[in-house]
Amino acid sequence: MLKYILMALLFFIALSIGAIVSAKYRKRANFFKALVLICQKLNVEISFSRERIKTLLASFDDKTKSQLCGLTENYLAFIDQESPLDKASLFKGITFLKEEESDLIFLFFRSLGRSDVDSQSKELKNFESRFDEMVSSASQENKKYGSMSMKLGLIAGLAVIILLI
Amino acid sequence: MLEKILPKEIYNPLVERVSFNALNEIRIRADKPIVLSIGGQRFFLGEKGMTGNLKEAIIPSRVMIEDIVFRASECSIYSVNEQIKKGFIVTKGGIRIGLGGDMIEEKGQIKTMTNFSSINIRIPHEIKNCSLPVFAHILHDEHVHNTLILSPAGSGKTTFLRDFICQLSERNYAFNVLVLDERGELDIGKPGSIGNFSDKISFARKKVGFENGIRSLSPNLIVTDELGQEEDIEAVRYAVNCGVNILASAHCDSIESFQKKPSFSKIIEEKVFSRYVLLSMRNGPGTIEGVYNENFSRVTKY
Repeated sequence: MLKYILMALLFFIALSIGAIVSAKYRKRANFFKALVLICQKLNVEISFSRERIKTLLASFDDKTKSQLCGLTENYLAFIDQESPLDKASLFKGITFLKEEESDLIFLFFRSLGRSDVDSQSKELKNFESRFDEMVSSASQENKKYGSMSMKLGLIAGLAVIILLI
Repeated sequence: MLEKILPKEIYNPLVERVSFNALNEIRIRADKPIVLSIGGQRFFLGEKGMTGNLKEAIIPSRVMIEDIVFRASECSIYSVNEQIKKGFIVTKGGIRIGLGGDMIEEKGQIKTMTNFSSINIRIPHEIKNCSLPVFAHILHDEHVHNTLILSPAGSGKTTFLRDFICQLSERNYAFNVLVLDERGELDIGKPGSIGNFSDKISFARKKVGFENGIRSLSPNLIVTDELGQEEDIEAVRYAVNCGVNILASAHCDSIESFQKKPSFSKIIEEKVFSRYVLLSMRNGPGTIEGVYNENFSRVTKY
């Protein structure tokens, strides 16, 4: 009996690891897609309404905010504080980014609200195209490794069961 | 509001060691000591408060100044770029921040300002009843004389105008007052700071503000700050021709020097203003030196 419980447990663990790894790739793809969306929306809003960054970021829908894994909330917290923006507090709770990706996103947030409408609009378009590149590479990764991780998890789980039998 | 704008290194000694009631101006320049203007005198700001010793003064960096401007714009420079093009930002609460830096021109027009290297923070004050000593000279048979408040910079013109509007309101002179707040300094954002019978047009040029305001709000009295350009004078003449009274201010250190100003020659000749109130810094900002009539004869002496 204990053997069957152990088999089920190990199968579940292997499957979960696969799902977690797969979710990471999906999360990355959605994260960059949300960044592109933010660039587009900010560009439109800044050009027309000239509303403050704080109001604009706070007005994004919950889905976009959750896809950004707390990034906008971290930035809004910086706006309310007196301390300068730093990478550690901006990326608090976000662990799936590569160094060069976080550098670019940090640069993006550091440039927000620092210039006039024309310059800000150009900057946002530039960031949008760079985030677009990240979306395509993250989507490819997701296609390639996301489903593979799930399959590997399943295979590893099955292999454990076979070994135990 | 200052606590949201200034870094702790500057704000803490200011709030803990300096009397805000007497503070008129904070001048922050990159790599130079911070200078406080208090009651017409100047001091450095040190970690322990006001000081006359240069070595104890806080020396801010350029980054610090950039950050103050960024914070003053509520982290959105683009939203206040029209003000920046004119060389200042007005924060909530009517604190005006004058800016020094690099002006960017494009096709002969100022596009924006960058690389901020110095700022001048002017602290607005509400000095209750400061206009009362001359109130009776400006008001005449239930009408307000067309009046020009004259003084050097930082001598309390804006404070005077703001108080006069409040005095009218408190005494239930239900004039429709149009406050043309070109630089956002007259209304400091407190409830009732420009009275109960006032409409406000902010950040508009006088010409545009006067024309639109008279057409749409039918004021009895227009109150505005800092007349200076030919265009402003034309706006005043337009308003007076429409039967609207004017209470305004202009930079000047004496009645004699005012009379020599070419841009005002026409309205002096036409006797558009029937009252001139001269303020000075002699006994601190807002010292009333005299009230004059349209012929520059003293109505009363102080």
